[in-house]
Amino acid sequence: MKIELEGLTNRVPGTGDFITIDYAKCNNCECCLIICVMNLWRKKEGKIYIVDDYQSKCLECAACFQVCAADAINFNYPIGGTGIVIEKG
Amino acid sequence: MKKYDLIIIGAGPGGSMAAKTAAEKGLKTIFFERSRKPGEKNSSGCGLGPRMFRDFPEMMKELTPDKCPSMRAGTASRNYFVNNDDIVSGYIMARPTESVSYEPAKSWITMNVYRSEFDPWIAKFATDAGAELKTSTLIVDLLKEDGKICGVIDEKGEKYRAPIVIGADGVISTVAQKSGLRNKWAQNQVTLTLQYDFQAPSDKIDDIMGDETLAVWWGSNFPASYQVFFNDGFHQGLGNWMNWWDKNPLYYLNRVINLKYYQRLLKILDAKPRELQSHLLPWLDYPFNTHTDGVILIGDAGGFPCPLEAEGIYPAMVTGKIAAEVASEAVTSGDVSKATLKRFDEEWQNTSIGKEFEAGCELWNIWKALPFSPKETMSWFVPMIMEILGGIFDWSQPHALRVRQIISHIKSYMPKATPFIMTYVFPLIAKVFEDDLDKLMDPKKIMKVLPKLLDMLPQKKKKRGG
Repeated sequence: MKIELEGLTNRVPGTGDFITIDYAKCNNCECCLIICVMNLWRKKEGKIYIVDDYQSKCLECAACFQVCAADAINFNYPIGGTGIVIEKG
Repeated sequence: MKKYDLIIIGAGPGGSMAAKTAAEKGLKTIFFERSRKPGEKNSSGCGLGPRMFRDFPEMMKELTPDKCPSMRAGTASRNYFVNNDDIVSGYIMARPTESVSYEPAKSWITMNVYRSEFDPWIAKFATDAGAELKTSTLIVDLLKEDGKICGVIDEKGEKYRAPIVIGADGVISTVAQKSGLRNKWAQNQVTLTLQYDFQAPSDKIDDIMGDETLAVWWGSNFPASYQVFFNDGFHQGLGNWMNWWDKNPLYYLNRVINLKYYQRLLKILDAKPRELQSHLLPWLDYPFNTHTDGVILIGDAGGFPCPLEAEGIYPAMVTGKIAAEVASEAVTSGDVSKATLKRFDEEWQNTSIGKEFEAGCELWNIWKALPFSPKETMSWFVPMIMEILGGIFDWSQPHALRVRQIISHIKSYMPKATPFIMTYVFPLIAKVFEDDLDKLMDPKKIMKVLPKLLDMLPQKKKKRGG
């Protein structure tokens, strides 16, 4: 059974930009690529980036922020009252 | 600028308990929640332990299905043992044993609730007591004057002033970061935990699971995976330390979901995936840096989940209550210095939470070595357990011969089992009994004695009268 992830999250839009990467600090360790359950971190031409539509997919677990030993990932929570809504947590 | 006696960031069970306690003591209290209502951002931490009902009886007796429709109390738990080929090779079901000493622990092991129902319920105790709850508000910084913390600032720049701020804002705590208590955890102090919620009809769960409400799936191909049943659904999840993962965590959770046995369970329960959740969970051998001038951290923000099975709500409520009591005295006396707030540590160390952390290091070690080390430990642990449990019920040979076969096979696990027992089990036993087991724990001695002990078991039965 393959579980389709589409439709398994609810959210209120309007989060603002709450995750950023500081390329001056990123050392390309790729830990964020592995840890992100939603696979929102990618690498292209040697550069790590977060997908453009992460605001509508992120589970707000902050694992990318926590796992980043280089402190290159900034994670601020979405604007109050927006973002993921966990109904059955 | 609005002025308060106490500001609390976070309206989970810890924050709400702190707000309730402070308001009852007459403090002008406000607590903030970044979501539209408490519980909207919380996943896992869904198990209410019996100690909550023992220690907060007046509150907990009011928790009823009309207020919290998801609640399901379960008497029994189950441990599934999954072998290296992903086949469920056995399980143990257990109920509270005769030595359990009080109600409701004698009747059930856990009361499970969805946080979206439980957290608003507990927050109402705080607002009823007079605390002000401000939702949909993200606190982004601490207010400082002459280097001293004196309040908080929200995302719109609004300032709120109070002599003490309690950080009840979870594992990645803005209060911890802005107060300088902690920027982030070490990678082995926090786990990533992810879970599916499945919808399943209540009567199917009743018919198939009976009063079992909790299961743990042990196997070598995934970290130990928990299953928690609610009134009309269940969670299936797993976690591990941040630096354990070698591929997307969903891969490991899907290994559990794709077990043949599990697929059959989903089918007969008529279960459908309903939600996917991921969160971080602190898992410390001992809480540290819990307070500084004008700041106290409680619950997950303070690193208080149980070091064995990560129970989080009860420690959050206990530390929340204590933090509010300490804050109340500090505010009244006008001294909110770190030296005064140190009483917070002294107080929680005297509670059931403090007693838990007395063996925190040993519990943490054994948890890391067992459920969080599937390849290293479960690969021999499961076959060994099943050799003992399942080996006896076998008529492939005369039973005495079977016993010898089983013993002989168990001996083959000893090179892995013995160091495990020496390293993780004996230190825990020594701590629990506060005894010096140095002699017993000398690995050389054990390794010398153990094979001899096993050799003493009869290899072959002597002939009668021979």
